[in-house]
Amino acid sequence: MRRFVVALIAAAVAILLLALSGAAFGHSPRELLALLVEGSIASRFAIEGTLLKSVPLLLTGLAVVVAFRAGVWNIGAEGQFIVGALAALLAARWGVAAALIASMLAGAAWASIATAMRMWRNAPEVLTTILLNFIAIHLLGWCVNGPLQEHEQRYPQTDAIDASLPSIGNLHAGIAIAIVASIVAWWLLYRTAEGLRLRATGFNPFAAKWAGIHVNAQIVRAMAVSGALAGLAGGIELAGVTHRLFERFAAGYGYSGIAVALLANLHPLATILSAAFFGALATGAGELQRTAGISSAVSTFGQAVVMLVLILFSAIEEKRWSR
Amino acid sequence: MLAVDDVSLTVGGGEIVAIVGENGAGKTTLMRIAAGELAADAGTIERSGTPSLVHQHFMLVGELSIAENLALTQRDRFRFATRSTIEREATRVIDESGIELRDVTRRVDELSVGEKSKLELIKAISRKPSTLILDEPTSVLTPREAEDLFRVMRTLAANGTAVVFISHKLPEVLAIADRIVVMRRGAIVPTSAKTPNELAHAMVGDLMERQLPAGRSAGFQPALVDENLVVHKSEIVAIVGVAGNGQTEVAARLRDRLDAASSGHIPEDRTRDGIVAEMTIAENLALTAKRWSPRQAARHADRMIELYSIRARSSAQRAGDLSGGNQQKVILARELDRHPDVIVAAEPTRGLDIEATHFIHDRLRSAAAAGAAILLITSDLDEAFALADAVQVIYRGKLSERLTPADAQMRVAGLMAGLA
Repeated sequence: MRRFVVALIAAAVAILLLALSGAAFGHSPRELLALLVEGSIASRFAIEGTLLKSVPLLLTGLAVVVAFRAGVWNIGAEGQFIVGALAALLAARWGVAAALIASMLAGAAWASIATAMRMWRNAPEVLTTILLNFIAIHLLGWCVNGPLQEHEQRYPQTDAIDASLPSIGNLHAGIAIAIVASIVAWWLLYRTAEGLRLRATGFNPFAAKWAGIHVNAQIVRAMAVSGALAGLAGGIELAGVTHRLFERFAAGYGYSGIAVALLANLHPLATILSAAFFGALATGAGELQRTAGISSAVSTFGQAVVMLVLILFSAIEEKRWSR
Repeated sequence: MLAVDDVSLTVGGGEIVAIVGENGAGKTTLMRIAAGELAADAGTIERSGTPSLVHQHFMLVGELSIAENLALTQRDRFRFATRSTIEREATRVIDESGIELRDVTRRVDELSVGEKSKLELIKAISRKPSTLILDEPTSVLTPREAEDLFRVMRTLAANGTAVVFISHKLPEVLAIADRIVVMRRGAIVPTSAKTPNELAHAMVGDLMERQLPAGRSAGFQPALVDENLVVHKSEIVAIVGVAGNGQTEVAARLRDRLDAASSGHIPEDRTRDGIVAEMTIAENLALTAKRWSPRQAARHADRMIELYSIRARSSAQRAGDLSGGNQQKVILARELDRHPDVIVAAEPTRGLDIEATHFIHDRLRSAAAAGAAILLITSDLDEAFALADAVQVIYRGKLSERLTPADAQMRVAGLMAGLA
């Protein structure tokens, strides 16, 4: 409960600071706040935009939750997202289900490269997953400028795929998939013996090992599931929204997943709310850019503020504990 | 429940005061309040100078060397010191303390538990405190090391330092303390006890009726064979030795080698290796379970809390908030309740009070009676002789031949010192 309040405060402080910072660009805070709300939740169109933005955030957020719960610092959701989308593109000719399955397998495989290096030479996954992000980003860049470029060869992008997620209006079935995924993740983590062991591994790998838990197996599995979720996010974004790949396809969804997961205090169900919040923030920031000419990068600023407030609170808490 | 309630205690300079009591009686809490680490809800503390508290749990930086850890206690002095100055100074401080600890360049992570506790003590003494508070200082020491410690304590007291120490070992308390304070359930019990038995009575109230050791018969087939170590079914074999002679490695090797499903392991370092502090008692008990549902786990945990008399508010309490003895009971409950064929118990009663120690001994005996092969790794000779059918001494990583308890009583001291 206290955690929930802290998260609410962090979110509120972020919005408040965003609004206040507008003063620096000659806008009144109230005006900015109104624009944020208008652009994110005030109309049917805005809500749709928010929901669509929330889907990839929810899945990458879950990816981070699963890995962090096992004590592995998967910073590579961005790369897994891209690789997942690439695999989905290639498998799309066999239908949308094949595309999504391919995206999960590719994401899991990409994340598992980091696990393999950890097992082989004890390479820290914080480093390897970030480096794998760069490789994935450049792989995508090469693909859309080379072998996978559209037939007209005009823009650095692929042809549109035919496969598409079933949808109602603009809203595609990925929303349902993402919510089901969070419920399944919650169930696996909190209602199964393996989930208990995964969490124990994350909290205290020494005690887990002494209790007879196969710590390495937990890490391998958590990383694979995490990669699969991030890959699925990429596959859904492709099959549900963009239908084609281009260089800036990932748009930071993987990194934002970290903020989503932390605001949710690494809880799979809270991640739904957290993703919706950041989704709204990103959509609202788009409105700021269109109407007030403020760069939509302010949503990244919002993420940073949320993280800083959360860190501040946990530092205060730690101080209280140590007294 | 209050941890400590309405306690009044005065300690004068030059005095050695022992505080005894069961697990969770409030001894550590009281001392942390006295040292200013915890704030009391009410009451006053008057003191001259800052007391120095040596913790039951280590407060060391594992990544740094012995010398660097000592330098940390005097940060101002060593702001621009070179490595060699720090090491020279550390060697001097150690010599001055009268405690034996060789090679100050070693990383603390690599030290045995016994050596870490020595380092903690040296750290505290080096601050030249007006009051020195020791929490379970002898629990990891050999009898000779304990004697050395008592000598240090007497010297400190003779020079005007007030020494307060928490202990469970009643004979040593009677031998060294000028005054004994008994705590029970957060309060001081008035007593004029003069013998271990009287003290024990004061500590636990009415001593519970002791179970007789369960009858065990050796001669079953071997259940555990490892290098020159054999433990048969229904047998307890003790490995004894001075801490840091390879006991930790034996336990770790057996953990990796034995099948997790049919062996139980009680690790030496219970806070690091035994429990997951952030998880609840119910979750800790279910770590190795085949299935997990919160409701079922809570029911199971309630039964274990009852059966192993774990003192806890509820099964949903964080395991990290339990006292050391109750954490150990949680580990014991988890490992024994699966009825493993082989149990490896390393220092299962270190730092525990009499009642908890008896309890754990009884549990180990009945596990053996039920057919388990038990390897007991301990630096407490009393414990070894109370439980073991056979004793082996470990010295510099090598195990001695198998001794009967009677033989062991004659030869163990020499073997532990590497003389035989």
